[in-house]
Amino acid sequence: MQLRLEPRALQSRAMRYASPVIAAALTLVMGFILFAALGKNPLAAFHAFFIAPINSINGVAELFLKASPLVLIAIGLAVGFRSNIWNIGAEGQLTVGAIAAGWVALNPAFADSPLLLAGMIVAGAVGGMAWAAVPAFLRTRFNANEILVSLMLTYVAQLLVNYLVFGPWRDPQGFNTPQSPLFADAALFPILIENTRLNASVLLTLVAVAVGWVFLNKSFLGYKTRVVGLSSAAARYAGFSEKRTVWIGMLAGGAAAGLAGVGEVAGPLGQLFPTISPGYGFTAIIVAFVGRLDPVGIVFAGLLMSLLYLGGDSAQISMGLPAAAASLFQGALLFFLLGADVLVNYRVRVIRAGPVARRSFSA
Amino acid sequence: MDMIMPVVVATLGAGTPLIFAALGELVAEKSGVLNLGVEGMMLVGAIVAFITMLGTGQLWLGVAAAGVAGALMALLFAFATLTLQANQVAAGLALAIFGAGVSAFIGKGYVGVTLQNAANGGISLPIDIPLLGPLLHSLHPLVYASWLLFAGVTWFLTRSRAGLVLRAVGESPASAHAVGYPVIRIRYFATLFGGAMAGVGGAYLSLVYAPLWLEGMVAGRGWIALALVVFATWRPARVMLGAYLFGGITIVQYFAQSAGIAFATQFMSMLPYLATIVVLVVISRDVAMIRRNAPVSLGKPFHPSV
Amino acid sequence: MRIVNRRDFLKSASSLGIAAIGARAVDAFAQDVLNVGVVHQFPIGEVGWETQHALGYKAMEAAFPGKVKVTVVADVQQAQDSERVFRELASQGNKLIFGTTFSHMAPMLKVARTAPNTYFDCCASVTTLKNMGAFEARNYEASYIAGVIAGRMTRSNILGWVGAFPIPQTVWRMNGFMIGARSVNPKAVCNVIWINTWNDPAKEKDAVGALISQGADVLAGSPNTPVQGVAAEERGAWSIANCSDFSKFVPKKQLTGDIFDWRSAYVDSARDALAGKWKAQDRFRGLGEGGFCAMVPYNAAIPAEVVADARQREKDIVSGKLKVFAGPLKDRDGKQHVAAGASLSDKEIRSINWLVAGINGPFPKS
Repeated sequence: MQLRLEPRALQSRAMRYASPVIAAALTLVMGFILFAALGKNPLAAFHAFFIAPINSINGVAELFLKASPLVLIAIGLAVGFRSNIWNIGAEGQLTVGAIAAGWVALNPAFADSPLLLAGMIVAGAVGGMAWAAVPAFLRTRFNANEILVSLMLTYVAQLLVNYLVFGPWRDPQGFNTPQSPLFADAALFPILIENTRLNASVLLTLVAVAVGWVFLNKSFLGYKTRVVGLSSAAARYAGFSEKRTVWIGMLAGGAAAGLAGVGEVAGPLGQLFPTISPGYGFTAIIVAFVGRLDPVGIVFAGLLMSLLYLGGDSAQISMGLPAAAASLFQGALLFFLLGADVLVNYRVRVIRAGPVARRSFSA
Repeated sequence: MDMIMPVVVATLGAGTPLIFAALGELVAEKSGVLNLGVEGMMLVGAIVAFITMLGTGQLWLGVAAAGVAGALMALLFAFATLTLQANQVAAGLALAIFGAGVSAFIGKGYVGVTLQNAANGGISLPIDIPLLGPLLHSLHPLVYASWLLFAGVTWFLTRSRAGLVLRAVGESPASAHAVGYPVIRIRYFATLFGGAMAGVGGAYLSLVYAPLWLEGMVAGRGWIALALVVFATWRPARVMLGAYLFGGITIVQYFAQSAGIAFATQFMSMLPYLATIVVLVVISRDVAMIRRNAPVSLGKPFHPSV
Repeated sequence: MRIVNRRDFLKSASSLGIAAIGARAVDAFAQDVLNVGVVHQFPIGEVGWETQHALGYKAMEAAFPGKVKVTVVADVQQAQDSERVFRELASQGNKLIFGTTFSHMAPMLKVARTAPNTYFDCCASVTTLKNMGAFEARNYEASYIAGVIAGRMTRSNILGWVGAFPIPQTVWRMNGFMIGARSVNPKAVCNVIWINTWNDPAKEKDAVGALISQGADVLAGSPNTPVQGVAAEERGAWSIANCSDFSKFVPKKQLTGDIFDWRSAYVDSARDALAGKWKAQDRFRGLGEGGFCAMVPYNAAIPAEVVADARQREKDIVSGKLKVFAGPLKDRDGKQHVAAGASLSDKEIRSINWLVAGINGPFPKS
């Protein structure tokens, strides 16, 4: 008896929606085994991980607060990934966006302007795009691999913000601790739900979801970029410019990441620190894939990933589960998804070898 | 002038983990597989080697364990991409993230624990060679092992039949398959080898270089190793050069600081990454050269037609 | 939730008259079991920054057996996340919450303002609130003593310092070290290398290598791992432990160390909370009984009269006779910061951003 993978003629629609669910289920099973192996009651652990964090208004607000940058960045990245443009440096673009917004916020010339926050948002997007433009340029002009360039620039960006908060932008009232001065209230996003941290930057994400959906599913430009991703030969034949696709892909990711950076420093942080993000730029990559590179899917995937983060802390508090469990789940989720995805493009056939007629079952 | 020797020794040490990881990845890429998960495999190798060494006190046992662990992580990736035909870039990223999580998880009880007998078993020669003598004495056996690896990989790829087949698989898997070679199986071996070497690179960090365990202590070297393969245009000798160059920049930066050259240290810390970008650009602009040297099927899934 | 219930109880009770309630109100604040929350930025290891805090709250649990329950959350690396965790700990009935690093100060301030009935205590914070205290170690006193030993034990007169980030805590330690060394050895200098990371032991080792190659024979520094000591020992150099005692890993060449001792920080805070007398304090203590730092036992290889001198200086510091940052004190560019007869104020110490003469190497100018 043999299991064989046969390519499907058409991608299975049903599996496209089912595979993330299968992946999530497999991750849960793995979690079950893991918790049991650690000697913790698996059901209690699941409750701590998945139910407890969202048991209150505050919890739900935190869920959305954390999902917002993940979804925002993932949408930007999805534009690129669909055309095989691999922007791995979103973390660096987020940092530079935060720096740019910080420059506007801390600049005395803009302090009284009613457009302060708007200026910060624009600056953040521009900053992120500028940082993404470097790998885009190096790829289109010199054919340098954008994965590596964007990644190297992440380290550079982190050292840059470090330099700024230790040096020229250090808070003079801050006892020389490495942080920038606190942003004025006018430079912070207003809170949406009282007594929570959910702020208006989540509206930016909603806009991005809408724009992303329209761009990817309805616009001709989006269609072009998808063709480039599927078959560069066909795209060239049709006259779709690969260079333009590279730029669009990278800049979309850069803008989104930069906006997420503004969301962090004008939101929960309220100032610049030596590190801005807890790895959102990398987690967003997982969110993009688990969301099948589609804005609606990304929203769900972002919420799930956010829940995993919150659950990790909650499980530590209530059950003493190790901190690394959360990142273990995140990586496993992506792996299982990649595995489950095979069923989208291939069919599993069970073949009984034998002289008599073969009976085959297809899934 | 007696500053040169310590810089050389330190550079050789700094380059060694990069060499293991990069040469391993080079073999995998030559067969057409792009495995971005090097960072994750190195981390897992580092913690497994550390735990083994702590338990047994045997350096080589630790190194071997790291190799096995790295290969196992690579197996996950290989299964996903070679058998299940998943996208190689996404799977590689997943491996990097997953590896980081796994290593942090199993390393929980070992944070900050330091090995005492970081075996510094340099070779002492019976005769006294003026410059080389003290140099060879201060090098760890794993540094020599990395040179042997280089020799082995070069020989394998250029002189051996198996290496030729592997390269053929990378250049044109369809033709290789038509001739009857088991493309998928060869790619599996190449990927597992890459994983094992990444594991050994991680082991060097946690057993010899550091020698302790800290979460995330590979600190981006896996990604540097990936970059090295590209800018070495998939040639082992250039991997060596690139690894020592990269290691050298980091080391020289510290010597400069210590000698009082005062400029913002963050910018000096940026140098290795900026240098990587510059070299990448210089190498990549010659599209023809890349096309000549990059395995044609790199990153593309191969599905043997039934 | 418990906190809300207590507030309601007090509100209704106070309407019955103060005198009768007086005793009961105090009881209401006094705890049966004190729930304490502690947050760590990084995982807790066998040695290092987090370990010293763990020793602190373990001592707290031991001092009040059965009356203190500690919930520990580790590996919360970013400020956005620690803010959420502090809030969650507070909302789950933890009455006393500790932050363990200066990057907890900003998030804790935000949470403390919204949870007025919870006590907060933050290590290395420079700001306090009515319900948020701070505790910090004058470990420049300990590093001064270490410097005295280093100054006497160095043969090359070159000391080496591996720095992670140039934050005031590190800068005052370096200055204390240098002042101590120069007080016994005016020719001593200290070279510093900044590696810009807390978590890359390979870079620590490289920095140690560079320092030793350029002549340093006593190494000190601030990344909180034993790597420096191990690397120094390999090359035959002395080392000074920092944060925790590394002699388990550096058996031969560790001279001494300036380590943190947070036990009284935790114990005193818990004692006050249990008695219902907790008040926010800004505790800045050094060597001595009930202090926050201590010296690691001296290496047997140190000559007896050096040890005796060091011990005497320790006593003088504790008694106040010896002030580490006593004037006249100039920075390495020649600018005078402390006049003769005066000494640096606490505020100046806690925001220190200049290096004393004798320290060579880069330093950020703000």
